[in-house]
Amino acid sequence: MPITLPLSFLAPLVLLAVAALALARPGRRPGALPRLSETAALAALAMAGLGLLQVIATGPVTRGAGALVLGADAVSATLALLVAFIGWVVMRYARNYLDGEAREGTFHGLMLATLAPVLLLVQAGSLPLMILAFATIGVLLRQLLLFYPDRPEARRAATKFSLVWHAGDVALALAAVLLWAAWGATDIATVTTMAREGALPAAAHGAVAALVLAAALKTAAFPLHGWLTEVMEAPTPVSALLHAGIVNAGGVLLIRMADAVQASPGAMAALVMLGGLTALFGAVVMLAQSGVKTALAWSTVAQMGFMLLQCGLGLWALALLHIVAHSLYKAHAFLSSGGAVKAVASIRRPGPVAVPNLSAVARAFALALLLYGVVATGFIALVGAKSPQALALGAMLIFGVAYLIAQGLADAAPADLTRRTAKASFAAAIAYFVFQQVANAAWGPMLPDAPVAGPLEWALIVLAVLSFGTVAVAQALFPLWAHHPATTGLRVHVANGLYLNALLDRLIGGFKTTKTN
Amino acid sequence: MFLKHSQIAPARISGLLDAAEAACRAIPPAFPLEATVAVNPVLGHVGDDLATASARLARVAGVVLTRKRAEYAAAMAAGRITDEDLADALFCSTSPMKPIDLGTLKAKAQADAPAPQALPTVADLAAQATGTDWPEIIARTFGLWAAGQFDRGQALWTPAPGQNAYTAWQGWASRDLTPEIAGLKGFCAHVAGAPDLAERAILRASEHLGLHDDAAQSVYHRLLMDLGGWAQHGRWLLWQAELDGETDNTLAAMLAIRLVWEEALLAHVPGVAKAWAEAVGQHAAPVAPSPDMVIDAILQDAADRAHQRRLAATLASAQPVAGADRPALQAAFCIDVRSEVFRRALEAQDPGIATIGFAGFFGLALGHRNHGSDVVEAHLPVLLKPALNSCAAAPEKADFEARIAARATRAWGRFRQAAVSSFAFVEAAGPMYGAKLVADSLGLKKNKATSPAPKLSDELSVEARAQLAAAILTGMGITKGHAPLVLLLGHGSGVVNNPHESAYHCGACGGHTGEVSARLLAALLNDPATRAALPAHGIDVPADTLFLAGLHDTASDEIALYPDHAAPEHAEAVKQAKAWMSRAGRIARTERAARLPGAQAATLAERATGWAEPRPEWGLAGCAAFIAAPRGQSAGADLGGRAFLHSYDWTTDQGFATLETILTAPVVVASWISLQYYGSTVAPQVFGGGNKLIHNVTGGIGVVEGNGGRLRTGLPWQAVHDGEKAAHEPLRLSVLVEAPEEAILGVLKKHPDLAKLFDNGWLHLFALKDGKMTARYRPGSGFEAAGFAQAA
Repeated sequence: MPITLPLSFLAPLVLLAVAALALARPGRRPGALPRLSETAALAALAMAGLGLLQVIATGPVTRGAGALVLGADAVSATLALLVAFIGWVVMRYARNYLDGEAREGTFHGLMLATLAPVLLLVQAGSLPLMILAFATIGVLLRQLLLFYPDRPEARRAATKFSLVWHAGDVALALAAVLLWAAWGATDIATVTTMAREGALPAAAHGAVAALVLAAALKTAAFPLHGWLTEVMEAPTPVSALLHAGIVNAGGVLLIRMADAVQASPGAMAALVMLGGLTALFGAVVMLAQSGVKTALAWSTVAQMGFMLLQCGLGLWALALLHIVAHSLYKAHAFLSSGGAVKAVASIRRPGPVAVPNLSAVARAFALALLLYGVVATGFIALVGAKSPQALALGAMLIFGVAYLIAQGLADAAPADLTRRTAKASFAAAIAYFVFQQVANAAWGPMLPDAPVAGPLEWALIVLAVLSFGTVAVAQALFPLWAHHPATTGLRVHVANGLYLNALLDRLIGGFKTTKTN
Repeated sequence: MFLKHSQIAPARISGLLDAAEAACRAIPPAFPLEATVAVNPVLGHVGDDLATASARLARVAGVVLTRKRAEYAAAMAAGRITDEDLADALFCSTSPMKPIDLGTLKAKAQADAPAPQALPTVADLAAQATGTDWPEIIARTFGLWAAGQFDRGQALWTPAPGQNAYTAWQGWASRDLTPEIAGLKGFCAHVAGAPDLAERAILRASEHLGLHDDAAQSVYHRLLMDLGGWAQHGRWLLWQAELDGETDNTLAAMLAIRLVWEEALLAHVPGVAKAWAEAVGQHAAPVAPSPDMVIDAILQDAADRAHQRRLAATLASAQPVAGADRPALQAAFCIDVRSEVFRRALEAQDPGIATIGFAGFFGLALGHRNHGSDVVEAHLPVLLKPALNSCAAAPEKADFEARIAARATRAWGRFRQAAVSSFAFVEAAGPMYGAKLVADSLGLKKNKATSPAPKLSDELSVEARAQLAAAILTGMGITKGHAPLVLLLGHGSGVVNNPHESAYHCGACGGHTGEVSARLLAALLNDPATRAALPAHGIDVPADTLFLAGLHDTASDEIALYPDHAAPEHAEAVKQAKAWMSRAGRIARTERAARLPGAQAATLAERATGWAEPRPEWGLAGCAAFIAAPRGQSAGADLGGRAFLHSYDWTTDQGFATLETILTAPVVVASWISLQYYGSTVAPQVFGGGNKLIHNVTGGIGVVEGNGGRLRTGLPWQAVHDGEKAAHEPLRLSVLVEAPEEAILGVLKKHPDLAKLFDNGWLHLFALKDGKMTARYRPGSGFEAAGFAQAA
C-alpha cells in the first residue's frame, strides 16, 4: 500500500502552531499554554513514531522537488523520533520548571519554535533546506540563551554561540554552492549517487571540506568549542535540548552526506584527527571541572569529538548510535543535575576509593583485552567479520572498560567489589556489542561501509588506538599521579581548557564590560 | 620580628590583622548543601540595629536590609499596615534622623529610596577606566580555583589535598594564564612574588593600597563580600574548626587573595589611584544610616507591628483548650512552623489528642554514622557539638553489603566520568537512559527505601540513659500522665532532584531529616531498664505507654511510622493514630495546596516528587512568630503555619532552666531561620541562592548561577517567591513567651549576646499571660504593656 506522506514530516507544523499561540501569552502563568506545549510535543512524538512505522512498512520515501526535499528513511526517521522524544521530555519538564517565570509563555513558544527546525533538519533531503533549518535554529536558540538578557554572562555566551554557529552556516552555504558547481544538485539523494559513482571533482572536494568545517563548528570541536561550555546561562531544559538535540546536528549533517564525505580520504583523515583530539581534550578537561553542568558540557565536547572520530573511521552507523545514546544520556544528566549534591555526598560515604596500582592496572588491561577477544570472536562467529576500523573502535572502548575492571582489582578492594565490577564490565562489553549489531542492522543498509583501510587509514587507526590507550592507562593510574606537585601546573592549564576559550574571549571582546540594556 | 616590611610599624600590623579578623567575622557561615541549615545572614551585624546594618551592607555589598518602598506603600494602601502601626513605629524609633511626623513618614513611603551603591573596589575602578570587566574576571578565575579547591567529590581531578588555601591559590594563580590573556600582564609573576603567608600578603597589599586602620576593616569587608558565597564557605570552615576548639585560616587566605588582585590591578591601572584613595576615605568614615535608611527601618518596624497586631488578635480570640487528664494520643512534633498546620489538623480529629512542640533533634546531640557509611554526620543544631554517637543497628553483613553496593555504584560512576571510559559508558549504557527519561518524566520511580533502625554506639549506663531520658522528657514538658501511645515525629521533605533538599529538612537536625533522632529517642524511652530508672528522676511514665517514632514528610504531609518496637497490645491504638493522621494529612494538604501555585491537595505528594518542580513546598516561608507556651493556650488559634511552637509551662520549670534553654537555643535557631528567609527575600542578590533554573551544582557543596563565578548561598529565589509576589513576608520574628517577665529579663541579663538580638531589633519579644500578648519588651526599659486589644 503506498503511503501518501510520512506523518513525521508534519510534526514541525504542530509545534509551530502552538508556538504561535505563545505570541499571545508571552508572560507569567500563561493559562493552558504550558500544557498545550507539552501536548504538542507529545503529538510530534507520536507522529515521529508513526513516521518510523511508515518507513519500516514501506521503505524510504522522499517528498518535494528541487532543493525543497524531505526524506524519510531509517536514519532520518530514527533521528526524528529521537528529537521528538527529547522534545517531549524537555517540554514536559519545562511545564513545571518554568512556572512563575516572567517570560514563561515566551519560553514555551521559543522552545517549540526551536524544536520545529530541528525536526525539519533531521528530515531534510537537501542542503539548502538544512541550511535554512540550521540558521533558524541558530536565531531561535540565541533567543533562548538570552532568556535572562540582563545577565552579562548570558549575553557573552549568546554572542559566542551565534558567531560560531553562523560561521558554520556560512561554511554550509559554501558547501552547497560547491556541490552545485560540481554536480548541479544539492539534494542528498543526487549527491549520494554522484559520490558513489567515482572520484570527486575538485569542487566536490572543496564542498566536503566545507561540510567537515561546518560539522566541526556545530559540534563544538576543538579549538572553537568554547561556545558550548558557556551556555548554562539558560534554564536547564535549554541545556538539555541543546546538548541532546541540537549539538549533534553537525554529526547528522555528516551522516546524511556520508557517501560524499567518505569519498574524500583527506576529509576522513581530518575527522579522525580532529575528532580524536577533541574527544581526548574534552574528556581530560572534564576531569578537572567541579561544576556539574560544566563537566557535562565538557563531556559533550568530548562525546561529539568521539562521534566525529567514528565518522572519520567510516563507522557511520556507530556514529549514529553514539548520537542516539549520547542524547538520551545527556538529556537525563542535565535534567537530573539537581541531584548532584546528593550524589557527591553518597560518593564520600562508603569510605575511601580503592586505588589500583601499576600491576592491577596492567592486569586490568590484559583482562579487558582478553574479554574483548572473547566477546569480539563470539560476535564475529555469530554475525560475520568486522572491519579493522570497527575492531579498533572496540579496542578504544575496551580500554575504558579496563578502568572499571581496574577499580575492582585494586588491592584494597574486597572480593565482592571485584566480582561486581567484573560483572558490570562484562555487561558493558556485551551491551556495547549488542547495540552495535542493532545499529548496523538498522542503519547499515542506508550508509556506506567503512572504507578499505589503506596506509593512511592504518596510520590513523594506530594513532587513535595508541593515543586512546595512553590516556586510558594514565586515567587508570590517575590517583597515583594526579596530586603530585609536578602535575599542579598541568591541572591548572587543563582546568582552564588550555585557555582556548580565554583566547577566543580576547579576540571577540568577551572580557569587556557589557552595558546593561 | 618576622616581618621585614620596614614601612609597617608593628602596632599597625596588629591593627590591620585585627581589622582582617573582624571583617572575617562579619561574614556569615554557609553550610554546604549536603546538610545545610539556615544561617542568620547578618550574624556579624547583630550589634547594629537594622538601619545601621543596612548602611554597612550598602557600602560593602550594595544592598539594604529592607523592602522596596512600593511594597510598604502597597501594604499601607491595602490597610495591612495601619496609621497606628506607623505611628507606633515612628514613636519607638530612637534615631535622631527620623521623620518629624506621621504625615512626613507616609509621604516618604510613596517615593522610592535611592538604590544602594557599594563603594568601588580597585577592580571596579579599573573596569571603568579600561573597559575590561575585571570584577567578572576575578569572579570567574577565583570561582574556578575555589570550585576545585573546595570540591568534595564532583570532579575526579581535584587539587592535592591538605594544602592550605592560600598556598594552593598561589600555586594555581602563578600558573593560570587567564588574567594575563585578559590583559593583566605579569599577574602570574606578581602572584609568585607575593608573600607566601596569607597574613603577610594582607599586610603588603594593604600597604600598597594605602589602607590605614580606620578604613581597613570596611575595605576588607567589601572585598570579602565581593567573593560572595565562597567567603561564606570559608567562614563555615572557620565555624567548624572553632566548634572543635581549633582554627582555620581559609577565609583570611581568601581576603589575601582578593587583596593581591587589588594590589596588582592598582599597579596595572595607576590612573585610578585618586578615585581609590577617595573610596578608602569613605570606608574610613564611621557607618551611619542615611535618613532614607532610617525611614525604611521604621516602615519595616511598622510592618512587624502590623503582624503582631493581627497575631495578638488571633491569640486573643482563641479559646484555650483544656487538655484531657490522660490523652489517648500524644504526638511530639518539631517546633518547625510547618508542624503547626498539621498539629492543628490532628488535634481537630479528637479531643483526646494532645500535641507537643520540641526541637526536632529531641535533645539528642547525635553524631550519626549511616548504614554502609564511614562518614559521621551531625544530627543536631549547628550551634552544638555532638555528644553522642550512633550508627545503624543493622547486622555487620548487611552493612558490608550496603557498602559494596555503594562502592560498585561509585566505581560505575567513575567509569562514567573518566576520560576514555566515558565513551564506553555512553555506547554501552546510553540507550538505557531512554527508559529513565520516561520514568522520571512520568514520575514512575517510587523511592521509598527504609533505612535500618539506628542505635547508640556509645555504651551508656542505665543511669546515664535514665538521666538523658529524664532531661529530654522534662524539656518536652511531659513528665507524667503520658498517653498509651506517644508519637515522636521528626520531619523531612521528600523532594527530588533539588540541590536545596537539605534546606527543607530539619534545621534542628543539622539539615538532615529527624528520622534518626526520633527513632533513637523512641528506643531509649521504650528500653525497660531506662524506664525502670525514670521514677528516681521524678518522671512517671505509665507502664502501658509506648513511644513510637515517625517522620512527617513536609512536602506531602504524610506521616510514616517506624515499627521498631513490637507492641501487639498497642496495635489498635496505632491503627487509630494512623487513621487520625491520615485524615489530618488531608486537611493539612488542602490548607497548604492553597498557597502553592498550581497545586491540588490530592496530588501534592506527586507534585513534590516531580523532578522538574522548583517549588515542591514552601519550607518555612512565612515564619513570623515563636511561641513558647503550653499548647492549650494557642491550640484554638489558626496560626497559618507561620509560628514556631515550643511547648513550655513555666509553672513546672524549676529555676527557669528550661526557659533559659529555650531562649538561648531554639529561639536563636529560629532567629537564624527567620533572618535567612528575611535576607533571601529583601537582599536576594547577596543573601539569596539565586535562580534555580540556572543553578549549576558545584563541588557538591553549593550552587553557582550559570557558567561559574560566585557561589550562591541562602535560599533560591523560587523558595521565597512564587513569581508574582514574595511567598515569604519579610518580618523580624516575634518571640512570645508565657513566663514571668522578671524570669525572661533574667535570662537576657545572663546572656548578653541573646539580649543583643532583642535590643537591636533583630527579634521582637513579648510576654504572654494566659496566652494573650500582654507586654512588649523595649530595649533598655524592660517590658511595658503591649496595648493590644485583649477582648475576644
